[in-house]
Amino acid sequence: MTTSTAPIAARTASAGTLKRALALPALLFLVIFLFPFIAGPHYVILMFSAMGYAIALLGLNLLFGYTGLLSLGHAMFLAIGAYTAGYMTSTRIMNFELILLVAVAIGAIVAVPIGLLCIRYVKIYFAMLTLAFSMLLYSFLFKFYHLTGGDEGIRIKVPTLTVWDLSGLDTLSVLTGPLYYYVFVLLVLLTALMRCLTGSSLGLQLRAIRENQQKAEYLGVNVKRYRLVAFVIAAVYGVLGGVIIAIPVGLADPTIAYWVQSGNLIFMLLLGGYTNFLGPLLGAVVFIFFQDQLMSITEYWRLTFGVILVLIVIFFPNGLMAALDRRRWWST
Amino acid sequence: MLASANILVGGVFHAAVLFLVAAGLQIVFGVQKIVNLACGSFYALGAYFGISALAWAAAFEVPAIAYIPILVGSGLLLAIVLGPSVERLLRLIYDRDEHFQILLTFALVLIFEDAIRLIWGAVPLQTINVYFAFGELRIASDLAIPNYNLIVIAAAALISAAFGWMLRRTRFGRIVRATAENKQMSEALCVDVSKVYMAVFTLGVALGTVGGALVVPAGAASIDMGVELIVDAFAVVIIGGLGSMPGALIGALIVGFVRSAAIWLYPEFELLAIYVIVITVLIVRPQGLLARTA
Amino acid sequence: MTLLQAQNVRKLYGGFCALDDVTLTINDGEHVSIIGPNGAGKTTLVNVLTGLVRPTAGNVTFKGYNVVNLGAVRLARLGMARSFQLVNIFPELSVGETIAVAAISHLRHGERFFSSTARNRPVWEIVERVGAIFGFSGKLDQPAKILSQGDKKLLDVASAFALSPEIILLDEPTSGVSTADKSTIMRVLVQAARQMGIKAIIQIEHDMDIVFGYSNRIIAVHNGRILADGSPASIRARADVMATIVGRQYDHA
Repeated sequence: MTTSTAPIAARTASAGTLKRALALPALLFLVIFLFPFIAGPHYVILMFSAMGYAIALLGLNLLFGYTGLLSLGHAMFLAIGAYTAGYMTSTRIMNFELILLVAVAIGAIVAVPIGLLCIRYVKIYFAMLTLAFSMLLYSFLFKFYHLTGGDEGIRIKVPTLTVWDLSGLDTLSVLTGPLYYYVFVLLVLLTALMRCLTGSSLGLQLRAIRENQQKAEYLGVNVKRYRLVAFVIAAVYGVLGGVIIAIPVGLADPTIAYWVQSGNLIFMLLLGGYTNFLGPLLGAVVFIFFQDQLMSITEYWRLTFGVILVLIVIFFPNGLMAALDRRRWWST
Repeated sequence: MLASANILVGGVFHAAVLFLVAAGLQIVFGVQKIVNLACGSFYALGAYFGISALAWAAAFEVPAIAYIPILVGSGLLLAIVLGPSVERLLRLIYDRDEHFQILLTFALVLIFEDAIRLIWGAVPLQTINVYFAFGELRIASDLAIPNYNLIVIAAAALISAAFGWMLRRTRFGRIVRATAENKQMSEALCVDVSKVYMAVFTLGVALGTVGGALVVPAGAASIDMGVELIVDAFAVVIIGGLGSMPGALIGALIVGFVRSAAIWLYPEFELLAIYVIVITVLIVRPQGLLARTA
Repeated sequence: MTLLQAQNVRKLYGGFCALDDVTLTINDGEHVSIIGPNGAGKTTLVNVLTGLVRPTAGNVTFKGYNVVNLGAVRLARLGMARSFQLVNIFPELSVGETIAVAAISHLRHGERFFSSTARNRPVWEIVERVGAIFGFSGKLDQPAKILSQGDKKLLDVASAFALSPEIILLDEPTSGVSTADKSTIMRVLVQAARQMGIKAIIQIEHDMDIVFGYSNRIIAVHNGRILADGSPASIRARADVMATIVGRQYDHA
C-alpha cells in the first residue's frame, strides 16, 4: 500500500476529468452568452430573468442541497431585492451597483435575526417558519399601502451602469444588450464564488451538518453558526437575484413574496438537481422557458406544475442533472 | 361589551374548527409521520363542496335543520373519495426523506388550487341564508349570537369527543395507537398496516373537509383560505406541540381568539396577527412549546 | 492530572433513577473500561460525562469547565471526543471526508471559506494517517453508507480519534466487529491513542477479554451506581462484582 502524497480529492485535478467536469457548465454559459445573437428579444428577456433566478437558486441550493434546510419562504429575499430596486429607482438613485450593494446590505441585515430564529429548527418546522416569515412580509407589503404601494407595488426603472453609458438606448436595447452582459458576468462570478465556498471547509461542514447534526457537533462543527452562515449567504444571493428578476418586469409587487413563488424556487431547484452546484442554473433556465410556453397554452399552469413536481419527487428526485449524467463529475 | 362577546364567540367558533383540522393533522403525523401541507387544500375543498351541496339542497327546498348534516355529510363524502387515492400517492414516499413529503404535499396544494379554479372559478363564493337560518340567541338587548356559531361549536365538540372515544375505547383506535407507536410491531402482530394508514389518512382528510364545510356559512370560500389555514394550523401545532391533543386544544383556542380579536379590533392586522403570534411564541419560548429541535 | 471529574451525579428519568450519586475522576494515562449489565446506566454515564445529557443533580467538569455549559462543539475544541453505541456516521460523505471533518476541526481550519478543502494538504495528511491506522486506506473514497456495520462503527471511532483529543470516550467500539478482529481493533486503538497523544481512554465494554486485557482501571456500574472502581486485579478479587457483572467464574490468566 503506497501512501500518496497528493490529496485524495486531487483526482479531479487530472487534466482529463477536469476538462469533462467543466464541459457542461462551459456549454451552458456559452449558450447564455450567445443568446442575444440567436434569439428574439422576448426570449432574451426570459433568459435575463432566468439568470436572476439562477443566482437566487445558487443560494437556495447552498441552504437546501448542502445544509439540508428546506426553506418555503425564500421568496421573501427576492421581494427585498425587488423593493430595494423599486425604492431606489423611484428616488432617482439609478446606479445598478449601488442598488445591488444596498439590497445586499438590507438582505443580510434582515437575514441575521430571521435566520437566528429559524435555524434552531429543522425539517417541517424550519419550512413552516420560513413560510410564515415570507407570508408576513407579503401581508405587510399588501396592507401598508402608503409605505409599499399595496397591491400596486412600486415601479422599477431600468438602472444605469457605472462602466457603461446607457444614455440614448431604449429599455429593450439595454435589457438585451449591456445590462444583459453585465448580469451575465455577475452570474459567472457568483457561480464561481459559490463553487469556491462549497469546495471549502464550509461546504464540507455544511454537508456534515445535513447528514448528522449530532455527530457534526461532536466533531467540533459549530452547527448553529454555519447554518446561519448558509442562511445569510442564501439570503444575499436571493436578494441579488430578486433585483435582477424584477428589472425586466419593471415592478416590485407583493406577490413576489407569496408562497407560490417560494414553491417555484424549490421546484426549479428540484428540476435542475440540488445535489450539485450546476443544477440551479439548468433548473432556472428550463423552468422559465417552460413556464413561458405553458402559460401561453393554458391558464391552469399550477396544475401542470403540480403534476410535474409529483413526478419529479417520485421518479427523479435528483433532477435533470442526474438524469443527464450518471457519473456526476461536477457533484460533490 | 358587545365587542368582547363577539370576540369570545367568534374565537371559540374559530377555535372549534381549527381544533378539528389540527386533530386531523396530528393523527396523520402521529401514525404516518407525514406532515400534510395539503390539509389546507382539503379544508378549502370541503368549503367549496359544502357550498355546492347546500346549493343543491336548496334546489330541493330542504329544511334548515338538514343543513348541518348535509355539510358534514358532504365533507365526509369528499374525504372518502379523495382520501384513499391521495394516500396511495403518498405511500410511494413514506420511507423517503421528510423533505420529499413536504414537496409532494406542496405539489398537491398547487394541483388542488387549480382544481378549485377549474370547478368553481376564482371568485370567492358564499352560501346564501344559511348563517342566519337558525336564528339567534339573545343574551342582552344589544347582544345576539347567531345560533349557527353555537351549533358548529357543539358539532365540533361532539366530533372531537367521538374521535377521542374512538381512539381510546375502540379496537380500531387501539390498533391506530399501536401502529403509531411501533409500526413493525403492529405488522408482526398481523395488523394490516396499509389499511390502517389509509383509514387514518382518510380520517385526517375528513376532519379537514368537514371543518371547511362547517366554517363556510360563516364566511366565504376563497382560494386563499387553504394557505391561511395552513399557517393557522401550524400556529396551533407550534403552540400546542405536534402530537399533543390537549396542546392542540389550547393552541386552537389561542389562535381562534387572536384571529377573532384581530377581525373585530384591528382589521388591517388580521393577516399579520397570526404570523406575529407564531414568531412571538418562538422568541419567548425559544425551545418551542413542546416543539422538536433537530 | 485530573482531566474529567463527575461529582455526585444523579440522573432521573421521571421516576426512574438511571444514575445515583456517581462520583469519579479520570486522570492522565488511564485506560478505563466501564462494565456492567444492560440497563445499568453505562451509556447514560457516558452521555452525562460528554454533556449530551444534563444531570438532574451534581456536575461534571472537564479540565475545570462544566461540560453541560460547554456543549459538544466547545468540548471537542477543548479536547474531548466520543464515539457512539449505535452507528453514527455521515451517510453521504465519503470515509475520507468524514475524517476530514474532524481534521478540519482539529486544525482549526473551519473558517477557511475561500480555500479549497481538496487542496488542503495538512487535512488530507491527517485523513491518510488516521485512515491507515484504522485500515481504511483503500476505502477513503467510498461513501460511508455502503460500509459494513463494523466498518461504520470503526469510522465513528476513527473520526473521533482524528480530533486528536486529550480524552476519548468510546461506547462499545468493537461491538460490530467479529471476535477475531476485536483484538486487532483494540491494538489499533491503543496504538492510535499513543501516536496521537491521547491522554485517557474511557471505554464501555462487554467483552471481558478486552476489559481485562487492555484497561488499567475498571469501573463496574450496576443499577445506576458504581459498584466497584479499581485496577483489574482488584476487580477480579471482588467476588460480588464478578458474580453480578460477569455472571460466571471468570478464569482468564
